[in-house]
Formats: sequence, C-alpha cells, structure tokens
Amino acid sequence: MDKARIPVKLHRRVSLIQTEDAVLAEELLANKKLAQDIVGRLTGRVLLVRAGRVEGVVQELQKMGHTPQVVT
Amino acid sequence: MMSDTWTEQLRQTLHSYDEGLLRQVANRLCKPRNHWPVDELIDRCLAAVGNPAVVDRRLKELDEPGRNLLALIGHSRQPRWQVGNLVELSVALGNSDGLQAVQTLFEAGLLYPELTPRSRIKQFDQWLGKGNSLWAYVHPATGARTLEFDAQLPKCPGTQTLTGSGRHQVHEADGLEWPLRLAVLWQQVAAAPLRRTQQHDFFKRDLERLRSDPLLTGAPADNLGDLPDPGLLAVSLALAQELIHDKDGELVAGAFPSAWQESLPSMLASLWTALLHLEDWNSQQGWQPGETHGNPYPGAYLLTLLLLGNLPEERWASPDELVRWLIDRHPFWRTTQHRNASARSRAPALQRSTTPDTAGFIPFLLGLAYQLRLIQAAKGPEESWVVRLSPTGRWILGLADQQPASTTFPQTLLVQPNLEILVYRQGLTPDLIARLSRFARWKTLGAACTLQLEPETVYRALESGDSFESIVQTLERHSMKPTPAPVVEALRTWSNKRDRISVYPAAALFEFASAEDMQEAIARGLPAVLLGERLALVANESAIDYRHFRLVGTRDYVLPPEKCVEIEPDGVTLSIDLARSDLLLETELARFAELVPGGDVNNHRRYRLTPATVAAGRQQGLNVPLLENWFWRRSGQALTSASRLLLSGPDSPAAELRRQLVLHVANEEIADGLEQWPATRGLIRERLGPTAILVLEDDVPALEERLQTLGIKLQLEESPENDGSPQR
Repeated sequence: MDKARIPVKLHRRVSLIQTEDAVLAEELLANKKLAQDIVGRLTGRVLLVRAGRVEGVVQELQKMGHTPQVVT
Repeated sequence: MMSDTWTEQLRQTLHSYDEGLLRQVANRLCKPRNHWPVDELIDRCLAAVGNPAVVDRRLKELDEPGRNLLALIGHSRQPRWQVGNLVELSVALGNSDGLQAVQTLFEAGLLYPELTPRSRIKQFDQWLGKGNSLWAYVHPATGARTLEFDAQLPKCPGTQTLTGSGRHQVHEADGLEWPLRLAVLWQQVAAAPLRRTQQHDFFKRDLERLRSDPLLTGAPADNLGDLPDPGLLAVSLALAQELIHDKDGELVAGAFPSAWQESLPSMLASLWTALLHLEDWNSQQGWQPGETHGNPYPGAYLLTLLLLGNLPEERWASPDELVRWLIDRHPFWRTTQHRNASARSRAPALQRSTTPDTAGFIPFLLGLAYQLRLIQAAKGPEESWVVRLSPTGRWILGLADQQPASTTFPQTLLVQPNLEILVYRQGLTPDLIARLSRFARWKTLGAACTLQLEPETVYRALESGDSFESIVQTLERHSMKPTPAPVVEALRTWSNKRDRISVYPAAALFEFASAEDMQEAIARGLPAVLLGERLALVANESAIDYRHFRLVGTRDYVLPPEKCVEIEPDGVTLSIDLARSDLLLETELARFAELVPGGDVNNHRRYRLTPATVAAGRQQGLNVPLLENWFWRRSGQALTSASRLLLSGPDSPAAELRRQLVLHVANEEIADGLEQWPATRGLIRERLGPTAILVLEDDVPALEERLQTLGIKLQLEESPENDGSPQR
C-alpha cells in the first residue's frame, strides 16, 4: 500500500433513516410514536434511530403509508 | 453437499458411541484387521459407508427383515425416521420382532441413532428402551444402494384390470395444487404472522382463519377426495419445508426454499419427504397439535404407496382393499387380539378406526397423494375409484430412474390493465409460483388462477431482493401479450416510492477529519453514500477494505454509550474525547451547549453551556432531570452547580438583597450564651461562626439594651463614608 492510510473515526452498527428530502424527515419527526425511537438528527435528511428499534421503526413507517427500503 | 452434512452427522454419532460399541459396529461394517485408534476407526467406518461396493456386501450379509426395512427407508427418500415407525413397518411386513430388526441394523452400522449433543451410548438396547420418540437415520449413500435390492413386499391387494372407457380416462393431477396452496399460505403469513399457543396449537382467530380461508380450504379444481383441515396441513408442510418458521412462538414467512427452484417432480418429492415428518396432522383426524406422539401415519403412507409400486403393468388397485390390507397388518390398526405390546404403547391419544372408510387412507390416497401427483386414478367397474402409482410417484419412490419428462409452456399468463394477472396452470412451475407470489397476491386457485398486483405485494418483493426491472422481466417473459403500459407505470411508481425512505439497520458510518479525506476514500473505492461534508455511510461493513484506513476511534452503537465527556472546573465547559464520542453526543450537545471556538486540541473538542444555549434547550423540553441523566451517562458525574444554575435559574424565586449586621463577640462562650439566653435568642438571625452572629439592623437597639444589662458594651464600626450608619 503506497498511499498513506486515511485517518477516520468509525461508527459501527449505526441505525439510521435517510429521507428523500428534509421535509419528509420533518414529517417523520412529527409522528410522536416514531419520534420516540429517533434519538437525533444527523443532517437534514438523516435521522439516528435508537439501537434495537429498527424493526419497530419500519413497522411504524409502513403504518404511516411509507414503503421504506431496508438496506443491509 | 447434502451427503457431506450427513457424513459429518454420522461422524458425530460414531464419536458418541462408547469405544466398545464402536469397535463392535466397526467389526461388522468395515472389518478392520488392526486395532486402530478411535478416530481412525471412525474414518474407516465413514469410508465404508461411502463405498457402494462395501455397502452392497454388507446389505447382502443382512438378514431379510433388516434388509427389507432399509429398503423401505431407501424408497421413502427420507433418511430420518422415528424408531417406532420403523418397528411398525417391520411388523407390518410380517416380522414378529420389529425392534430386533432395528437393533440389527444399528449393530451392522447401517442405521444410526439420532443423539442429543454430548450424549453417550453404551448399548443399543439400552438406548432403544429410552422412550417412544426416538429417531434414527440412514446415510443417504446407503439408502441409495438399498434401492438395488427388492424389498420383498407382498403383492398389492385388490388388483383390477380396467376395460372399456375406464382405460382411457386416467386422471392425473398436475401436482401444482399444494405448491400453490403453500404459496398462498406464505403470503398470508408474510402479511400477518400466525401466533401459537404453548401447546403448539394456534390462537382462536388464527385457527379459524386457517379453517375457513377459501384459498387454503377450498376443494381443488380436480378434486377426487376431501382432506381434513387442509389449511393446517399447509401450515405443517410449510413448516417442514422451512417455507415458514417459528420465531418466538410466531410463525413468520421465510424465503422460498431451494426446492422451489427445481423441477416440479423434485419439488413434489420434497413435499413427500416433508409429509413423512408431520407430527401434528394426519389424514384421518386432520389437525392434532401436540397429541400425536408416535404418529403411525408416515409409515402407513409409505407402505400404501410401495404396495401400489408392486402392481403389475396395466393393473390398478382398489383403495378399499389396499387399506384393508394395511389395517389388518399394521400394528397400530390391527384388531385387539393381534395387537402386540409395542403397538399399544404408541400414540395413545390417536383414535384408531379399523374400517377402510374411516381410517384416513382413502383421503390420503385420493385427496393428498393424488394432488401430489404420486398416483393416478380411474373409475373402476363399479364406478368406484381405482388407483396406481403415477410416473412421478414411481420416480419419487425410487422405482424409476428418470424423472418424468414435462412439457413447458413459458408463456402462460396474461397481465390485464386492471393489474390482475390471469395464469394458466399448464405453464406454472414451482419457480414461477414463487416469483409471482413475491410480487402479486393470489386471488383464486382453479383451472386458471388469478393474482392481483398491489402496492404492498410489490413492496414486499422489492424488500426481498426483487427490483422493478426483475418484476417487469418476469411478467414479460411469461406473458402471452406485452404488459399493459399502465401496469408498468404503476409498478414504476410503487418502486420509486420505496426510494423515498431508506432504513439502514446496522450501517458503518465513516467520520473523516476533512472533506478532502472523504473524497480520497471515495476515490479509493469506498462503497459509501455521502451524508455530509465529512460523513459517509456504508450499508454493509463487510464491503469495506480497511487497508485504506487508520482508525482514530471506533464506536459500536449496539453497546451502551461511553463516558467521553470531562467537565472543566468552571462547571459549564465540557471537553469531549473525540476517540470515544459518538454521533449522538454531538446532536445531544447541540441542544444545550455551543462549540467553543479554537478547534480541536489533543483530539478533544470543547463545548460550553451558556444562559442562551440552555434557554434554547429549555424551549425544546430540556429540564433538570434530563440534564442530570445526561451528565451521569456521558461524564459519570453529577450535574454541576453552575450548569444547574443556568437551567433552573428562571424557575428560582427572586433573590433578596438585605442589609444585615455581623456581631463579633470576644469568644465562643459569649456567642453560645447569647444564642441560648431567651432575652437575646430572638434577636439572633443566624450563627455565622464561633464568634460571629448575624443580626438585623432594626434589632440593634434592642440588642444593645440587652447587652448593656449583661455588662457588655456594643461598639459599632463606622461605614467607610463615615456617615454614622453601621457598615453593611
């Protein structure tokens, strides 16, 4: 490996939601049940999900009429 | 590959034998000439089992009951059998001691007990005496060799030759009924899991659903005989096939097993072998949850079909005669005077019916075996059904070498503009059933079936790995006409909607020191989605090539948050250890603190609580308990007084500025006396120290007077302004 290694901080096993736009993220945060499982907003479109609550979040999103893409 | 799994299981089993027992078995199986160590002896046994010539020699050395029993197992395609079933099969074939036949096979090293992990076995007869739910298995390589030997089955009873029109009206099902029903069940379970009770039954609502659903319980289009509880049979078969599985008492849908990608005969063979392991359904009483300990039906199903395999060409058998033969010989159904002790001990909860009409085998033959394409049927001389094995049945039972050839009709469906799909069964295959089931809902099953495309079903398909393109491709490939444009558009809309929200359950998030570093990482092939100037997300950590990176910190978000905050002496400045902090911390801090200018120092970043930042936090619901909890979690320390002050200040009562005087006395005894003497006690506001006492300015005259009575002179210190008033 000729090139220098890039210093980076790694956050492992992070659960998060990425929305198409910030307005949709606001809409999700406005849902009280969903908001309980969201512990923070990383950027306008990215919400951090409480560890171990992804299944419940996906179910709640589906109840809201969304069809979230679960990316693994 | 499957054989490797069995070989490994056999190795484990042989390791569980006591050395003496292992040597006895090895002496029969591989006849070693030397005293080999145990491990080597096991290797030699495994080599013998995998050697067809050796297995053939050992089979020839067996007595007839043992060889017949092994042949039955071989024909069944199911290597695992309950020992009780094997005993019953042996007795039904005329052997007076079925248990001995099983033990002989154990001793010959051709049949093996299925043992729990870490258990040891000293003698086979001791193990056989342990209970009624013991299982044994044959290595598939041995099972395949037994097909070469005639099982010495008796002639099939009730044979008939068809004449006239009966010869030309042979009925043979298409074999698709049960794959279709399982697909329907899979969809229903995917939509709403089935909940089980502790007794392995279903809760009432689910049970009613399984007993009344028109698709699961309706009669097949080509129906010759009804089955009891067909919906629950579908559940049992789906469980045995691992199409659905038990997850903490709930039955949930899994992926379609690999058998669905094979030919229809292979798929039917997998259903047949699954049928031989059903514990909670039988063809007489239907659903019997938790009651069928020692279920005798699997062995009886096998015997019935193998008897049909003995029919001469062009001959048929009467199901009634066949069932009568079975009832007269199978120990479970034999009349009381013939029943032996071992038969009485098995399946005490099951009802025994000893008439052909009610014993459950006519429904098995005409209802299940017919729909599984194992048998053909025709009308006999008296308009009653007669049966024989079908070519598929002969192949499944190892009585024919080649799978029956099938004609394929790839273009077998019609997609209609109203999003309905019409499917003609002639062109269906298990693979196509599985594909269609993933993205469309089965509406009707019949000679022609219908499905409905819906947003939910398309979403489910996309979630299980399909794409808009693959769905359209499946429709195009199998449709007789081009897919209508509105249908393609609807599929596209539903697919796009899914892209609006992505959920990453366990992503790896890279936090770079600079935007340039992140660009460099992307240039080196990091498969990441960019979330900001310095943040990049990788959905699957295994896709990361770590050789390009030097980790300056790692945080695992499944673990509890680390204590990574140090509180500086001022009580409002927080120093963050960046190597241990997490993303949540920064979002948490942003609610009540601000970044201290000056950048990161020694991998630490500083935040400060200010009245303004804390006020903003209060606006968003921050309160003392929340902040106290945060301080404990993140720093391991209590909320500092200064921070508490910033947060609770607005709630505090108004501060009062009062003019007060401090009386200094000569010694502690005088102070104690003044504090205790009733005349002066009421004039003292507070004891400030050993010789210092707080008094109100208004009380000074009274105090002076009392002190004079004590002989103590009061001296007032003048204020700096020298205005004569006492100094504050």
